[in-house]
Amino acid sequence: MARRFEYAQAEEIRDAFARHGVRYLFIGKSGAILLGYPDTTQDADLFLEKSPANGAAAARALRDLGFALTDDQAGEIERGKDFVQLKNGPFDLDLVFAPDGIEGFEQAWRRRVDVEGFPVCHPDDIIRSKEAADRVKDREVLPRLRAFRDYWLARNR
Amino acid sequence: MTTPGDETPVDEWRAEFEAAARRPLRTRFRYAFVHTYKPVLDDAPYRSFDTTAAYREWCARHLPAWLGYGPAV
Repeated sequence: MARRFEYAQAEEIRDAFARHGVRYLFIGKSGAILLGYPDTTQDADLFLEKSPANGAAAARALRDLGFALTDDQAGEIERGKDFVQLKNGPFDLDLVFAPDGIEGFEQAWRRRVDVEGFPVCHPDDIIRSKEAADRVKDREVLPRLRAFRDYWLARNR
Repeated sequence: MTTPGDETPVDEWRAEFEAAARRPLRTRFRYAFVHTYKPVLDDAPYRSFDTTAAYREWCARHLPAWLGYGPAV
């Protein structure tokens, strides 16, 4: 079982993805936590631009980070399967190429928030994706997440 | 004026947001990321799905309901 995700590992993602030129955004509750949302989660979710070049760069960066990707798995990431769940590395990571509720990477990228060098989805996008996914765990978190969005917008106005 | 006991959840949440905003990011990380075993979900080192809908369907079919990955309806 992978260890708990730590700040140093987030820095490693940021640095490895920057070295390889990967276009990505933190999304989901891990993204909200980067923005300041106080809650707990188990892993990090990354929204990646879906293109062969970006997928290939991501696979190279993930191998640098210590993920044991087979050539077939790297090929799937390069081709951009919509959802890839990685538990074969130093921490758990979900790669999302087509999150629910978000029209495309470019639109989300234009709205991104930079938090100490980490590219993060805007809270509105994090909320939209959870509204669209509409799982039990999303419904539980949404009222507090919306309150955080309002707080965050007022603070960053 | 509010007296103790009058706070709504939003008031309590706002106080939590304020407290979190005072903590450095590194500290927030330490409090935020936990790891517990999730049956089925954690039992394979790698999974991929052609579509997000296929992933949602797999979660609904295969994961214990209490994990919360199933549809809310």
